[in-house]
Amino acid sequence: MNQAINVEQLNSALSSLRTVRSNVSLVFETLSNGLRADHGEDGKDKFLMELQELLYIVSNNLRDLEQTVNALPIPVPFNLGNTTYLSQETTQDRQALYTQLVNSYKWTDKIHEYSSFAQTLLSQNSLKRSYINSGSTKRRGKLQSNHNVAPLQVDNVINNIDRSYNDMKITISRPFASNAVVSINLSHVLKAVVAFKGLLMEWVMVKGYGETLDLWTESRHHVFRKVTESAHAAMLHFYSPTLPELAVRSFMTWLHSYVNLFSDPCKKCGCHLHHTSLLPPAWRDFRTLEPFHDECKQ
Amino acid sequence: MKRGKATIICEVKNGSYSQYPVPENKTGTYVIELLTKRILALGASQQGQFLVDCESYLSHPQMGTTKTVHILHNSEQPASVFSILESGTKNIHVIADGLFDLLMMKLSQHYTSKKQTKIESKGPRFELGDFCVKLGSVTMNQNFKGILVEVEYRPCVMANAVWGLLREFLQGLLGPTVPVQPTQHLMSRMNEIYTPIDTIYQYLEHFSAYRKVTGMRNN
Amino acid sequence: MSAANLAPITATDSLSQALKANIIPNQEYLLQGSVLDSAVEVLLHRLRGLCDNVDAGTETFDDQEVCFSLRDPNQQAAPLMLRVRKALDARDMPFQLRYIGQPDLGDKSRPTVVRSSLDIACSGMLIEFLNELGCRIEFEYSVKGYMFRKGRMKITVSKVFKISQSSMSPEPISQSYLVELSVLAPQGQDAIGEDMRAFADQLRPLVQLDKIDYKRLGHMS
Repeated sequence: MNQAINVEQLNSALSSLRTVRSNVSLVFETLSNGLRADHGEDGKDKFLMELQELLYIVSNNLRDLEQTVNALPIPVPFNLGNTTYLSQETTQDRQALYTQLVNSYKWTDKIHEYSSFAQTLLSQNSLKRSYINSGSTKRRGKLQSNHNVAPLQVDNVINNIDRSYNDMKITISRPFASNAVVSINLSHVLKAVVAFKGLLMEWVMVKGYGETLDLWTESRHHVFRKVTESAHAAMLHFYSPTLPELAVRSFMTWLHSYVNLFSDPCKKCGCHLHHTSLLPPAWRDFRTLEPFHDECKQ
Repeated sequence: MKRGKATIICEVKNGSYSQYPVPENKTGTYVIELLTKRILALGASQQGQFLVDCESYLSHPQMGTTKTVHILHNSEQPASVFSILESGTKNIHVIADGLFDLLMMKLSQHYTSKKQTKIESKGPRFELGDFCVKLGSVTMNQNFKGILVEVEYRPCVMANAVWGLLREFLQGLLGPTVPVQPTQHLMSRMNEIYTPIDTIYQYLEHFSAYRKVTGMRNN
Repeated sequence: MSAANLAPITATDSLSQALKANIIPNQEYLLQGSVLDSAVEVLLHRLRGLCDNVDAGTETFDDQEVCFSLRDPNQQAAPLMLRVRKALDARDMPFQLRYIGQPDLGDKSRPTVVRSSLDIACSGMLIEFLNELGCRIEFEYSVKGYMFRKGRMKITVSKVFKISQSSMSPEPISQSYLVELSVLAPQGQDAIGEDMRAFADQLRPLVQLDKIDYKRLGHMS
């Protein structure tokens, strides 16, 4: 709407400019022609009169022009950077650059548009693992610091968990700068190693009692490879950037339930071994902590 | 000390195999073949053969109360010699390297081998997931004595925790009517960490039982 | 059937094969000597210059040895001697059970003492086992010192201590160090004796390594 008005104003301003130009040229034409035959005997006075008239028209036109130009909104000057000089480009093949410039501008514009759509969609469908649903900016600032917690605080959290179990020994080491790598000995059943980033769990590896523990090599036993899989699922399930301490504690409680990995049968089929995989129940329900075979858990 | 994995050894008695009529004179091979077929059907793969042998030495009568030294070898631990000294009610074991056999030769004045009771369990060895199953036919002095099935569950080191699971596996393999009982030695070590010597003790207990049964079973 | 599924050979078979091939190191070639405490540093310095295993500093050991005897039931032969060594500085290492036969000095031309020997690594209840087997403890001592290696030769420079009953520091048996040069080899490799003699000659100004006849020592005391 605004733009349409502007164009009309601009048009009238341009037409009044044209009128000024044509009338001015008329003045000069009359002047250059000088006295003509039709001016008659006292042509001198007549000529001066005609000239005065013409000048009067020009000054009127000029006033009109000034009026329309003043009515135009004064454009804020764009900072076009080097593109400003494109208008002064004389070489033929470089003049095409302007179209490309306009195209890329259109693309950027679209991206901007789509991302704003995406933003609206994301805020409507909250995803668990994103920060978006976590509310005010003030809180968000605090959240991000969970990646970067003082080692002492991490130690406190983990040591507290360690103290609450008699049959689960948790030890902290820091082989990679300030991030904790926690090794867990669960009775004589299994060993696990958890890599932390701040207070957030990043990686879990579960192995047998007699095996050597490291972050990357898988256990040689099928059952512990299965438990590692479950532990990864649990790590993602319990992931909660707003309450990292709760996440760690829930994960440890869940892991502790593996103390009966070999001795308790599956809650659903009642057997120790699943008939096809020949594995013991290597899955623990997240809430009830009951043992299930991977195949029986649905 | 080297850690092991929970293992049970179960004797297959022909009596409990009533639903599978065993032809005359083919006892051992027939049952082994039958069990081999079953375990292959479960998806196992054969990984070589195994051998556990036992030779017993008796002390010289001049040395006072008779003592027995059992020398056992297990192909799972090929560089070791397991030696168990039976003295009254006590059993004392030593795990040594291969040269211990030479020492026993040096002791031949003091301890003499009862060659006719040399006994061994030998047969195919299968791997099935985390299980290792060994089907051994027991022979003493070339005479067939019976069949011992050894099931090892490698991830677990405590017999107590894994007992139910092992029994379920064995009964699945041998049939639900087969009684699966821990040996006396295993009973006393249920809550300890299992080591290779525990397997040896289990074999010794079964071997001693076979030796007591004189003569060969004819079924 | 694939090769992997062949029946394993019995331990007895593999042992008799090893015996036939004569690959079991059951002979010990031995030279012994001693140096005074005051002279030991010079000897150690010389050995550090001559031996192989000195890159990471001198290897030390601290062992306790118990010597058992098993009497012959027919009272005819000499008692059988068995020695048990336990490393006090590496407690998780297995025991070393050692059978040593009668030393054979031979004539003057033989460069070293040769005695039959079996070194067996053992774990488990070894002391109890030997007691129940019928062995009697003869004596025990602790030995602490340095171990060097030069090719197949082993050189130990060690001090023998009495086992102290209380928690007091053990008392040394003498004011000198025992120096032993030994090689374990299968039967019939007598050439090694010459190598040992040559090496002993290199140490000659500092320590005299010789064939020691214990029977004669026994007579002297």
